Amino acid sequence: MTRITLGGAVLRGTVSTALVASLMSAPALGAAPVDLSKWSPEYVRSIAGTQDFDTAADCAKVTPLDYKGRLTFWYQGVFEGDPDLLRQYYKDFFETFRKTYPNIQLEDQALTYNDLLDKFRTALLGNAAPMAVRLQILGGTEFASKGYLQPLKPEDVGYSTEDFWPGAMKAVTWDGVTYGVPTNNETMAFIWNADIFKRAGLDPDKAPATWDDVVKYSKQIHDKLGIAGYGLVARKNAGNTPYRFMPQLWAYGGGVFDEATANPTYKQIELDSPQSKAALQASYDMYVRDKSVPVSALTNQQADNQPLFLAGQLGMMISHPSDYNVMLDLQNKATGSDKDKAQTVIDNMRYGLIPTGPDGKRAVVFGGSNIHILKPEYVEGGKVDEPAAKAIICMWTSPEWSLKMAYAGSNPGNLNGFKTKWMKERLDSIKFLDVTTSMLPYGIPFPALPQSPEIMNIIVPDMLQNALTGAMTVDQAADDAAKRVKELMGGGL
Amino acid sequence: MTILTGKTGARGGFRPLLRKIWAHRADYAYVLPAIAVMLIVIAYPIYYTVELSFFNTPPGLQLRDKIFVGVDNYTAILSSGIFWKVTSNTLIWTLASTFISFVLGFACALALHRDFVGRGVLRAILIIPWVISAVAASYIWKWIYHSDFGIIGAVLVELGLADRPPNFIDSVSTVLPSLIVVNIWREFPFAMIMMMAGLQTVPDQLLRAAKVDGANAWQRFWHVTFPHLRNVSTVTILLLAVANFNSFIIPWIMTGGGPSNASHIWITHIYELAFGRQRWGVASAYSVLLFLILMMFGYFYVRALSGNERKDHSA
Repeated sequence: MTRITLGGAVLRGTVSTALVASLMSAPALGAAPVDLSKWSPEYVRSIAGTQDFDTAADCAKVTPLDYKGRLTFWYQGVFEGDPDLLRQYYKDFFETFRKTYPNIQLEDQALTYNDLLDKFRTALLGNAAPMAVRLQILGGTEFASKGYLQPLKPEDVGYSTEDFWPGAMKAVTWDGVTYGVPTNNETMAFIWNADIFKRAGLDPDKAPATWDDVVKYSKQIHDKLGIAGYGLVARKNAGNTPYRFMPQLWAYGGGVFDEATANPTYKQIELDSPQSKAALQASYDMYVRDKSVPVSALTNQQADNQPLFLAGQLGMMISHPSDYNVMLDLQNKATGSDKDKAQTVIDNMRYGLIPTGPDGKRAVVFGGSNIHILKPEYVEGGKVDEPAAKAIICMWTSPEWSLKMAYAGSNPGNLNGFKTKWMKERLDSIKFLDVTTSMLPYGIPFPALPQSPEIMNIIVPDMLQNALTGAMTVDQAADDAAKRVKELMGGGL
Repeated sequence: MTILTGKTGARGGFRPLLRKIWAHRADYAYVLPAIAVMLIVIAYPIYYTVELSFFNTPPGLQLRDKIFVGVDNYTAILSSGIFWKVTSNTLIWTLASTFISFVLGFACALALHRDFVGRGVLRAILIIPWVISAVAASYIWKWIYHSDFGIIGAVLVELGLADRPPNFIDSVSTVLPSLIVVNIWREFPFAMIMMMAGLQTVPDQLLRAAKVDGANAWQRFWHVTFPHLRNVSTVTILLLAVANFNSFIIPWIMTGGGPSNASHIWITHIYELAFGRQRWGVASAYSVLLFLILMMFGYFYVRALSGNERKDHSA
């Protein structure tokens, strides 16, 4: 059950309002289909189910339903850590698309998060890319800056820019031009096991308020129960790592650049600031000093934390609401006493807001994915069937499917998704959604730079690994990472 | 050999060569498709890699907008700390994996060369690691080693031999030896098969004659069996060495080169430079150096094979 007190809700509402405003560009504020200034779990509940949408009719205005064509399409698909529910919606989407556009020959290919960028880059070098691609948020600016993508804005597929979160639109904008449409917006939450908290002498219904508390709680859990306190993830070349470390870094007041400010310039490197070092020190304290996190953190992804959590061997972690469904799936597959044990963990699963830093700053990665259309010269065969590409983009980013494809995990890219009957149904059936919608206003996009994938997937995890393995001190690791970012931005070898 | 005389010879032999090709045009026509394919799939990539190694390819630029930097990539590689780290890792990885796989494979081959009940079953069991895909093996071993719920750690803790599960692949000091164990587990059956095949060629009469002359088991092995296996041993060791130098799947899947680059070997580092960081120029320079090293292995391999052939012909 979610534990959010009335006082907390009021405070959150106030902070949310301020942060929503900071996330938004002024012109979008008035025109958005939902009132972002009122953003709160209660507001989301009040608008859910208030509007009907006819996806096929809407997309027919973009691409006629009898259009005959061919489309090659790659996307970041479901993977081992996703719940079965999401798997089903992905299956439903492609079946529905083929039924709605029976004359479009769709050749779709799902790739995992960690493989997609590498494979796409390679395909581009051989002019063998698909006509359209759904990429994680980190990829957009990299490929737009290199000129691989066609300009594409929501208006091209029947929506308005204001139908999408301004923060998400930043990630598809390069040099003032929009190159894609957001499909979903992720913000994670803080998850803990109330039973473990209770046995460790902590308040079972209260999330740690600050990251310093996380360090303290993690140690207390480990010392008293002999299990891992916090699910630290520090694997290199895996998206999971920055999604869990950056909220900590930003909360302490650090950053790679100034991306946590309202109007980032990405000019000044902040990875070696005292605040960034304090965040890294917190990870060091948990891993090295207290040994209170999984030893396997350096090779772990979040999918490795899930079974640990389900087995009652992990007290706290950061993840999506979908982890609740993942636990249910895993529990269904368990047998004998493991099944009962897993049920106990599920009953004791709690979600709360991600902790703040010492100065009360709260942050989470504003993640998600975007859909793009490629330029013909980089596509296999040298041709792009634009109407076919727009048809699938219209459908995926529609209020209906942007909601359904994010059903268990994140938020719909199209803000109208919050108004659909499916959102209402989702709020009734998926636990803990309101926590992650509450985290949305605290969302900070990764720097919208072509160098971001390397910074987030390689340099930041390297910094963590260098400090946690003792290869470097905390100061040296942070300084080394800052130096590498500087060299990278300078175009060095 | 064709002896060129007079005017034709003075002009360098190009025309006679053409004439010779023309005379045998039907033969060359047969091999032409193969040559064309080889040029496309081998020669061009080599040329392109060499060319790329002289350019900088910043992540914000397309590859076609690469910037010429001369030999800077090579000097950058040789002056970077990571180069020496991955080189030392690669040497340890290659030498340890090759040597131990060979010795273990040879020992198993000798044991299985004797006739005993269950030999066929044991042979089949020992070959299993080699037939399992490297990807599957990597995931299996990742779970076996897992620092929090791996079976080895659990058994050690259960037996009271450790307070907490050992840190196999999450520690800079143990990760490389741990991966080498997996690699040896995967590779020794290959050495075993090669050496078993070699053992079949050792003449029985020589062994019997040595026995009659009073040679003990070790002397028969050292003076009769082993000399017969010298060439097959050389080829096996070279093949293992090339495969290990080029090994990618096990270190990449199990650790991604981590923690803190402790398990990065040349190939994983090149992959990360190219596909993760898009430093195609530096990655190409590494690849050119790797190519030259592997060419040396190739030279010795061909020499060993030629030695085998000469021996076969003389026999």
